[in-house]
Amino acid sequence: MRLNSLSYMLREAFKSVFKQRKMSSASIAIMIATMFIFGIFFVLGENINFVMEQVENKQGMRVVIKDDVEEYILEGLKSKIQNIEIDGKKVVNTVTFISKEEAMKSIKERLGDKQDVLEGLDEENFLPASYFVTLTDLSKNQQVQDEIMKFDGIEEISTDNDTIAKLNNIARGIRMGTLIILVILVVISIAIIAYTVKITVYARRKEIEIMKYVGATNSFVRGPFIIEGLIIGIISAAISVIIMMLVYNGILNSILESNVIQSLSVSFYTFSELFLRVLGVYLLLGMGIGVLGSSISMKKYLNA
Amino acid sequence: MIEFRNVSKTYDKAENETIHNASFKIEKGEFVFLVGSSGSGKSTLIKLIEKEEDPTSGQIIINGKDTTNLKQSRIPYLRRSMGVVFQDFRLLPDRTVYENVAFAMNVVKAAPKHIRRQVPLVLAQVGLSKEANKYPDELSGGQQQRVALARAMVNNPSMLIADEPTGNLDPNTAWDIMGILNDINLRGTTVVIATHAKDIVDAMNKRVIRIDQGTIVSDKKGGYDEIK
Repeated sequence: MRLNSLSYMLREAFKSVFKQRKMSSASIAIMIATMFIFGIFFVLGENINFVMEQVENKQGMRVVIKDDVEEYILEGLKSKIQNIEIDGKKVVNTVTFISKEEAMKSIKERLGDKQDVLEGLDEENFLPASYFVTLTDLSKNQQVQDEIMKFDGIEEISTDNDTIAKLNNIARGIRMGTLIILVILVVISIAIIAYTVKITVYARRKEIEIMKYVGATNSFVRGPFIIEGLIIGIISAAISVIIMMLVYNGILNSILESNVIQSLSVSFYTFSELFLRVLGVYLLLGMGIGVLGSSISMKKYLNA
Repeated sequence: MIEFRNVSKTYDKAENETIHNASFKIEKGEFVFLVGSSGSGKSTLIKLIEKEEDPTSGQIIINGKDTTNLKQSRIPYLRRSMGVVFQDFRLLPDRTVYENVAFAMNVVKAAPKHIRRQVPLVLAQVGLSKEANKYPDELSGGQQQRVALARAMVNNPSMLIADEPTGNLDPNTAWDIMGILNDINLRGTTVVIATHAKDIVDAMNKRVIRIDQGTIVSDKKGGYDEIK
């Protein structure tokens, strides 16, 4: 495409957005509404993933070491566990050694003033040494356990399998639900934008007809409308990001003040951490919907 | 330049042929009237030349090329070789006279410099230099048709096709428009006009192709009614 016609199309598109102010504003309003709903689900999904990660990281397994294990085997175990790969990816987050002495100390702490139950057992520490292992991906829990059991010197692995399975189910459900809602919203908004652009195209059908009589190629006829869709998409994205930022910060502040969240000790994304992601998604969405909407509504007028 | 070889056209639902076995040849630089009553098939002939419609059978050759099997994507380039004028002018109401004419040049991706030079020249040719910044609804019907003529001519097409160009105009204005069309023809452009303005056709004494119920019934120089 020559620069001449590109600058012509750009000029025409901007003129048209401005001339058809009412139509453009309507399109932009619809897009912002869509993007807002979309955005709510998007940041919700992102935060749920984020919280799930935090919870997952805290969930761990206790790898109990056999009492009679040799020192050199014990030392090798840590890096062996650390380097476990499932499907070619490392999934172990942290490996912490808890010695017999530390185990005893922590039990004493937990017992508090009832330490006397341990009396007489002090001479020979009956508690085993162990490794506390956390994972980056909790769904690989069982596979990691199987791998660890293959190593020498392992007595047993104790883990809260029930909690882990529940967490996995919740996470999967939430991700699935968000995805379905996103898909539905995108389809609806493309349909709405296509309809809106169709009205614009209908209002300009005379112009399109004349363009074809004087020998405009289809891509030339389509150009300004596509760019118009792009412009509307970009404007909508910019406004939506600002609205999202205000709403998000407002909600985040009130959530962080609530006691429940403070007691759970999980943290959420700040908007600046999400900014690039939200902007990216909005631009992609806005431009995608704009271009797709324009193209769909143009089709009918070009096959003549 | 324009050649029809045994062209027939049937619309899907119509029982009779709209155009029946039409054959004629229009040479470069000719001035030809297509005459006939309403519904005789004049407009269909024009649409076939522009490839707005495809013939059911037969061949249409424009500038030495058979357009019958022309690809959809090549149609714009065919249309650039012909300027088209309609009875209802078909100007863009939200653009000035200048912009309406420049529009046709933008569409063929002309350079801005070339547009700025060419548009005033063409507007001068049709006598509308002073009206360049007016909008179509500020002009009379005759002036509007002159804008349409300027738009059709601005890309220097080798032929000009007009479908009832004076149909909406009073007799005096109609003569103005015919005068301009004649000037355009004298500069070497082939002109084909579908019309039923009898007095004009009679007075101009050009080649007349007469069509009646889809069939070409006469093709010779002279007036509107000279059949047989």
